[in-house]
Amino acid sequence: MLDEARTGHAAAIDTSIPALEMVGIGKRFPGVLALENVDLRLEPGKVHALMGENGAGKSTLIKILAGVYEKDVGTIRIAGREVEIRTPRDALSQGIKVVFQEIALIPEFTVAENIFLEDYPTSGAGNIRWRKIRDDAAALFDRIGFKVNPDARTGDLPVSQQQMVEIARALASEARIVVMDEPTSSLTPTEVEMLFSVIRRLTSLGIAILYVSHKLDEIFEIADTVTVLRDGRHISTQPKTAHTSDTLIRDMIGRQIGDLFPRSRGAGTGDVVVGVSGLSTAKLADIAFEARAGEVLGVFGLMGAGRTELAKALVGYDPIRTGTITIGGSPLCPHDTRTAVSLGIGLLTEDRKTEGLMLELPVMHNMSLASLGRFANMSFLDEKRERSAVQEFVDRFRVKTPSLEQHIKNLSGGNQQKVLLARWLMRGLKVIVVDEPTRGIDVGAKSEIFALIDRLAAEGLAVIMMTSEMPELLGLSDRIMVMAEGRITATMGRDEATQEKILNAAIA
Amino acid sequence: MFRIPVTLLAATATIAVMSATAVQAQEIPERIGYVVNYATHEWYQNVIKGMTDRANELGIELEVRDANQDAARQVSAAEDFMSQGVDVLIITPVNEDGVVPLLRRAAQDDIPVVLEGNPVRGMTTMVAICDYDTGYHAGVAAGEYARDNFDGQARVMNVGLPLLSATVLRSEGFMDGLRTILPEAEMVHDLDGGGNPDRALEVSSAALAQNSDINIIYGINDNSAQGGLQAWKASGRSQDGLLVVGTGGEGLGFINLMATEPAYQIEAAMFPEKVGYTTIDAAVSLFNGEEVPEHIVSPTATMIGDEWQQYYSVEGTTRSINWENVNAVPAADACMKTAADL
Amino acid sequence: MTETASSVAPPSRLRALTGNNEIVLIVILAVLCVLISIGAPQFYSVENVVAILRQCALVLIVASGMTMLLIAAEVDLSVGASLAFSGVVAMDVTNKTNSVLLGGLAGIAFGASVGLFNGLVVTRLRVNSLIATIATMMILQGGIYLYTREAVQNRHSIRLFTDLSTGYVGPVPVPVIIAALVFIACYVVLRHTMVGRYIYAVGANEKAARLSGLRSERLKLGVFVFTGMLVGLAGLLLASLMNTGQPTAGRGFELQVIAAVILGGTSLMGGRGTLIGTLLAVLVLKVIDNGIIILRWNQDLQMIVPGLVIIGATWLDLVRRKSDAR
Repeated sequence: MLDEARTGHAAAIDTSIPALEMVGIGKRFPGVLALENVDLRLEPGKVHALMGENGAGKSTLIKILAGVYEKDVGTIRIAGREVEIRTPRDALSQGIKVVFQEIALIPEFTVAENIFLEDYPTSGAGNIRWRKIRDDAAALFDRIGFKVNPDARTGDLPVSQQQMVEIARALASEARIVVMDEPTSSLTPTEVEMLFSVIRRLTSLGIAILYVSHKLDEIFEIADTVTVLRDGRHISTQPKTAHTSDTLIRDMIGRQIGDLFPRSRGAGTGDVVVGVSGLSTAKLADIAFEARAGEVLGVFGLMGAGRTELAKALVGYDPIRTGTITIGGSPLCPHDTRTAVSLGIGLLTEDRKTEGLMLELPVMHNMSLASLGRFANMSFLDEKRERSAVQEFVDRFRVKTPSLEQHIKNLSGGNQQKVLLARWLMRGLKVIVVDEPTRGIDVGAKSEIFALIDRLAAEGLAVIMMTSEMPELLGLSDRIMVMAEGRITATMGRDEATQEKILNAAIA
Repeated sequence: MFRIPVTLLAATATIAVMSATAVQAQEIPERIGYVVNYATHEWYQNVIKGMTDRANELGIELEVRDANQDAARQVSAAEDFMSQGVDVLIITPVNEDGVVPLLRRAAQDDIPVVLEGNPVRGMTTMVAICDYDTGYHAGVAAGEYARDNFDGQARVMNVGLPLLSATVLRSEGFMDGLRTILPEAEMVHDLDGGGNPDRALEVSSAALAQNSDINIIYGINDNSAQGGLQAWKASGRSQDGLLVVGTGGEGLGFINLMATEPAYQIEAAMFPEKVGYTTIDAAVSLFNGEEVPEHIVSPTATMIGDEWQQYYSVEGTTRSINWENVNAVPAADACMKTAADL
Repeated sequence: MTETASSVAPPSRLRALTGNNEIVLIVILAVLCVLISIGAPQFYSVENVVAILRQCALVLIVASGMTMLLIAAEVDLSVGASLAFSGVVAMDVTNKTNSVLLGGLAGIAFGASVGLFNGLVVTRLRVNSLIATIATMMILQGGIYLYTREAVQNRHSIRLFTDLSTGYVGPVPVPVIIAALVFIACYVVLRHTMVGRYIYAVGANEKAARLSGLRSERLKLGVFVFTGMLVGLAGLLLASLMNTGQPTAGRGFELQVIAAVILGGTSLMGGRGTLIGTLLAVLVLKVIDNGIIILRWNQDLQMIVPGLVIIGATWLDLVRRKSDAR
């Protein structure tokens, strides 16, 4: 059990007064209304889930609670008392602990040192009591059933354990409200179970939990109440029992799945254009599959399942150990993106900033990069032809940019994604691998990207789509392949696929 | 670090000792250790050459170690020599602080020390040239040349190096010497050429563009003089009516210039070989407990036109020194002006 | 890559002033020329202009290659040491073969092989180019003394050799013509060819460039070798200008070159920069150098003033980019 002395105040928590009330919260960033008139009410000892798509306003709301941002309008009450939270320190002193998704540990420090980072115990003379830090950390881990050596160098731990350290850190001192932002994004199923048992112990002590996630199964397991945000607005707050997956998804995306995923093509598929057999890399084991012209092959997996690794191996970016990849019947030389591209396979990366965009370069140069050969005569470029080809794609994809010379960093995520997609389509591919195609893209642009992907398949490309977003997996794929721990654990057709089946295979 | 072990047949050694009339009555030390500041530099190459020549002549075993401009390395090399029990230690100080404790320890161990080049507190003796005097005599020669050839006009561009006292003394000496003949002589440009040929060329180009009436280029070393001359040539001027004066006389550079460039008429030669030679003689004197002056001056000479041939002969890419004539150059008892007077 | 008006919102007055790094440099250059010529009318003499241009030529030849390297997000700090060594090699081989052509080719080949070495260390051994080329600089500075302890004299007396640096075609000095040809070639490659685009792309985002099918390492290797060749060419000109192969030449040359490239607006992070900027920056730095002597100012200012100019120009550039981002 948790140390009674540390959480002794829990006994004093009055369960009839809400632990936290946020009323009419509004926040505007330059050009964007991030939150508008949002209410949120947490009860002591309850788990309140906060849901919404990327860009719905979840992060902004919890950053206001954490003192990272300051709200423009609205009221915050803690245990019935109105408070102002302007800095992270204000939040801490109100007993609000936030576990962010990004790991904020110092890799060079030991686990124990990270746990007590904010408040090292000192002796009378002001010396830090290193032994006490270590012992307290060990005791804390014992209590929450967390098996990590407190003396380990934090940077040496796997990401999932670092995430657990991050959570343990929030529990090291007195907390009235614990906010968890996508806490399971890098956890294994066992660790998720462990986390849930920790959450249950916390609620039994009267602590209020705000649980931010978009994973439906987790919500249905752990939450008591669910609040959904969309486009910065409050959509609904209801007890979990009043919801089904469908109603939750509808609240989140604001329409039926069918509307979001247009389907212009028939079920028919063409020749096999990608053949993979016996593929193993540092992170992948014995992968074998085929993809056909005109189909969207959805690849699902939890964090660390190997989706991105598979994508990178397919386009010759990462070295492979064994196995063969053929594109349109020709074998792909491992670790050579140039032949991969010339064979007709390209990757739309999940990480646009570091692997896709040349941020400092104009839209035109970003788009035409892979097809410059078409506009060159003895390496000399015919910029007139290049410009008209680029303009054509800008018009066709409705890329919003003031000019072709605009630095691409000044475009929105959705428009950047369209330019990167155009980079490949201009070149003319047989296969496109898209990795998390809608990450960091606002809802409006999402449906445009979905429509583009659908059209690509309709035009006869094989599309291999890596995703962790269940709606787009189910909405776009003709076939679904599920990965776990670097292997393929299931393959199913569009008609037989259900969320449950997919998740079961992903956890296996 | 490199060693130059010198072993000689007893017979030649005896002949050498007999021929060395100046030290005939003296005892000859067996081993001398020399810790050089920076053996890569051409100047020190020649100093070592002169030392080796003289040591061979006297039958002394000379060992050289390079501090490579590192004071700590200098101290450890010198301590090594002392533990090995060399008879005399010669040091070109990297810096003063490193050498002072070495002098103390050598005094305890009763090992005489000769410094080369730079003075240090508490030293017994130092062998060095006089920078001011060297410049001064070259200045006098330049004055006579300008009087005879330029109607007494002397407008000087000094390609100098204000960073070092030695090079400042050279420039001052040159102008003072020049003015003994031509009191109206003027330094129109005082440049910092960094002692490097390319930098010297660059700054000289600008200065020559500003003052087209310059007719004497003085370089504090051969590289600086060459940089100044090349700037002159690059601007497309004829060398008629120009006098170039260099300083140092190291290596082949100045010989080549004097042989091929009509304006390069005067060289203030410093005979680094002679410095080495004199240092060995000073070491022998100290070994014999003789009284020596605190500053032993190593002679320098002004060479005009093809006079260098009296002192050096060149074959292919090697030059050899003519000891007979170099040893005949008189040395002053003391410098006219030193760094202490600046 | 120039800014276009369309990427900028209505220009404020400050923006109009600092709207383009190249305009800033042109203004600085014009102001410098006016101020210096007020203090020293000889500034505009033919002789002085020629002297400035000749000095610019050496730096510009190497800076053209360095601009490409920096755009590709690499750097070469060994150019100064390689400059001296190439010059020594060029003079020595000319002495031995009595052929300026062979001597010149030897110097250029030496520079190119230093570039190749740098490029292989950076792309194959994956040593950061800053570290790798500092190491190469040390190797060359030591190695040159193994080659020769003293300056290699001109023993061939071939007129053509000295004409390379001191000759004229019409009123224009030969090295200025050579530099102009190098500059134009580099400009065309960077602006109008696939190779140029690829250099920008690799420098802006190497991972993305590789994923787009570019062989980034081969490209970088090529730019290292090309820069090395230009260093060899400059070394040949320097040997001609000095009429000797000087092992002690080129000290600090790499900093002059890199300072010019950075002042010209090329980003150390890669992906951004122009050759026009580099050309203007070389002129600015050499005019400052010349002006300080012509005005008879303390020569220590020859280090201080360029330092201040670099900080000032970089700051103006930041101001511009910040207002761009809004």
